Amino acid sequence: MIELEKVSYTYPHTVQPALHQLSLSVKKGRCVMVTGPSGAGKTTLCLAAAGILHHEYGGKKEGLVTIEGRDVAAYATLSELATMIGIVFDDAEAQMIFTTVEEEILSALEHRGLEAQVIEERLASIMATTFLAELRNRSPHHLSGGQKQRVALAATLALGNDVLILDEPTSELDEHATRRIVEILNSLKAQGKTLLLVEHKYAHFKDMVDTLVVLEAGSVIAKGDPEEVLKDERIKRIVIPDFRGVRSSHLTPAITVKSPVVTVQHLSHAYGEVLALDDISLDIHAGEFVAIVGENGSGKTTLVKHFNRLLSPTSGDVIIRGKNTKASTITDLARHVGLVFQNPDHMFFADTVKDEIEFGLKNLGTTDGDRIIDAALEDVGLMHTKHLYPRWLSRGERQRLAIACVIAMSPSIIVLDEPTTGLDGNEARLVMEILKGLQNKGHTIIVITHNKEIAQHCADRIITMEKGKVISDSPAGGM
Amino acid sequence: MAEILQYVHKDGFFHRLTPVSKIVFIIVISLMCIISINLVFLAGLVVAVLLLAYISRLHREVLQQSKLILVMSVVFIIITLITMPNGATIGYLIPEGTPLLGGSIPITQGAIEIGLILTFRFMILIFAFQMFLLSTQPRDLVHTLEKMRMPMDYILMFIIALRFIPTLQIEGNRIHEAQLARGYNPGTGFIGKIRSVAPIVIPLVSNALLRSTVLGLTIDMRGYRTGKRTHVRESTLKSGDYGVLFAMAIASCGYIVLFMNQVI
Repeated sequence: MIELEKVSYTYPHTVQPALHQLSLSVKKGRCVMVTGPSGAGKTTLCLAAAGILHHEYGGKKEGLVTIEGRDVAAYATLSELATMIGIVFDDAEAQMIFTTVEEEILSALEHRGLEAQVIEERLASIMATTFLAELRNRSPHHLSGGQKQRVALAATLALGNDVLILDEPTSELDEHATRRIVEILNSLKAQGKTLLLVEHKYAHFKDMVDTLVVLEAGSVIAKGDPEEVLKDERIKRIVIPDFRGVRSSHLTPAITVKSPVVTVQHLSHAYGEVLALDDISLDIHAGEFVAIVGENGSGKTTLVKHFNRLLSPTSGDVIIRGKNTKASTITDLARHVGLVFQNPDHMFFADTVKDEIEFGLKNLGTTDGDRIIDAALEDVGLMHTKHLYPRWLSRGERQRLAIACVIAMSPSIIVLDEPTTGLDGNEARLVMEILKGLQNKGHTIIVITHNKEIAQHCADRIITMEKGKVISDSPAGGM
Repeated sequence: MAEILQYVHKDGFFHRLTPVSKIVFIIVISLMCIISINLVFLAGLVVAVLLLAYISRLHREVLQQSKLILVMSVVFIIITLITMPNGATIGYLIPEGTPLLGGSIPITQGAIEIGLILTFRFMILIFAFQMFLLSTQPRDLVHTLEKMRMPMDYILMFIIALRFIPTLQIEGNRIHEAQLARGYNPGTGFIGKIRSVAPIVIPLVSNALLRSTVLGLTIDMRGYRTGKRTHVRESTLKSGDYGVLFAMAIASCGYIVLFMNQVI
């Protein structure tokens, strides 16, 4: 169905090729999963395989891409290519064009030259396949990440193409939402669809993957039957995150004095009429490594936003290092609580990595910035990027830069919201080892994660949330 | 967070109208309020539009912009007081006793009237366009504009511009929170807004550009630009539409007669 033969591609204004002599064959009815570190060229591969690179992007192109035996150059427009291939991009939000779920899917169906009756039938069928019937009149912007991904997938399925390219469809999804996507893709494969899937969550998809491809620096470093490919330990570490031993990789400081640095007392928070947090009470002690786990919408992010007063309690109190947040400003709290958001791109605006870190230091009036910046960059292994433009870094490097921006401000409590999103096994482990190292230096680490492996192998304590409540709070070994 | 200028799923009078009737309504109302300089007529038009919003169960959403309108009203009136003094002086913006500047900006009856005319026009246009956008699905709008022979690329550009409003709204809030968490305190008021430009706007624009690339590709890859389309669930003119079109025709004729006779 799709053949790439010795494809090389260099983006305009860059020197390093994003793809280098890449050959790949995606046969009819098969599922090919592509994985690899951030910046390896996975998204570029998706664009190449869909013919988009050829039609929409400049840059230097070599090699041959064929779809159904026909060179992509022979297709007149992307619209013509769209009759053969459906593509779902990783940013689900950006693919929401209309104002209700049903409108989004119906609009895609209307352009296939089908009879009105067939359109209505196919609409009902796609809604059922993607479990969207109950959401038909909802605004896509108000859906959860998993629901948005399902809408983007449904709108692509509406095209009725036999080949689907999916670029990290589960990157920001929790366990439940990921399983739903896996279930849908399994049923599509059973219907005979051909799938080219870029993913980091091999464990979830292993039963449906026929060929596993591992990319690194634009080249294929491994390709073939998954079991065979994973016999190589180096490849396995990239494909399957292994957090075992992280907890013991650094000497964990003993908590000699049980002094709470975060105290939450009967905290409730409502967004309008929706109760997001319901009477939560907990203590987090100095030097602890705490994982907060739970499904999307369980209240994890809402809870931690109270720690630096980005949100104020509807009722109850949050006390940080002995002081009620109601009596503190956000700037005061930023000295004690550093918060790294899920998407690092929400914070970068400076021209260089150094300036980006310096921004936080200036806000706090910190002097001796150069020494602190160097130390923070050393901690996260990014010293070589000091004078680069932050947005040029790979996703993994940007995530580490976001951590550096926060640790430079020397907060005693560091909170991270899904710090391993979109990272491969090695990068994810590296981030967790950095956090463990920071704990060793005396910081209190609080990590929000969907990933139970991280919680079990890295944290000392796991707090599980569901529907705005803490449903369990136990040492990591007891989970 | 409520989305600005986005379709709201409801079953109200305005929702049941076809986009054509709503476009006619918008054109007639807009022309009337732009041409007229009669304060009473404009005030009546504001009441009429709000009444229609109430009947259509859209009053709550429409009135969400009250704060913006209030701010704009004050700005309009201050500008007209400064730039268009006219008629009897009622008082002074800076009290007469104030050293140096005292009594330098007179509050005149004519300037207040012009300020109010601008305010009423602004209110009518904002309310009417809001009602249109809140009650019309973009898909129906695309079909209607297509029938009016507007080029598809322009229609898609219009739809995308509307679609980006909530995205920028949500994204802007996230970026603001991320910078606040880094100890950023740009201050409040006008100076604060100016200081917050770089840390908020640069990530906002960068992210929006990335999003627009994906959005553009999505539009192409879903075949929206092919031009061929099956007509499904087409909206047809119903009694409500005929009522609105008839009312607009009568209102237009009445308006022309009154305008020609210099009543309004």
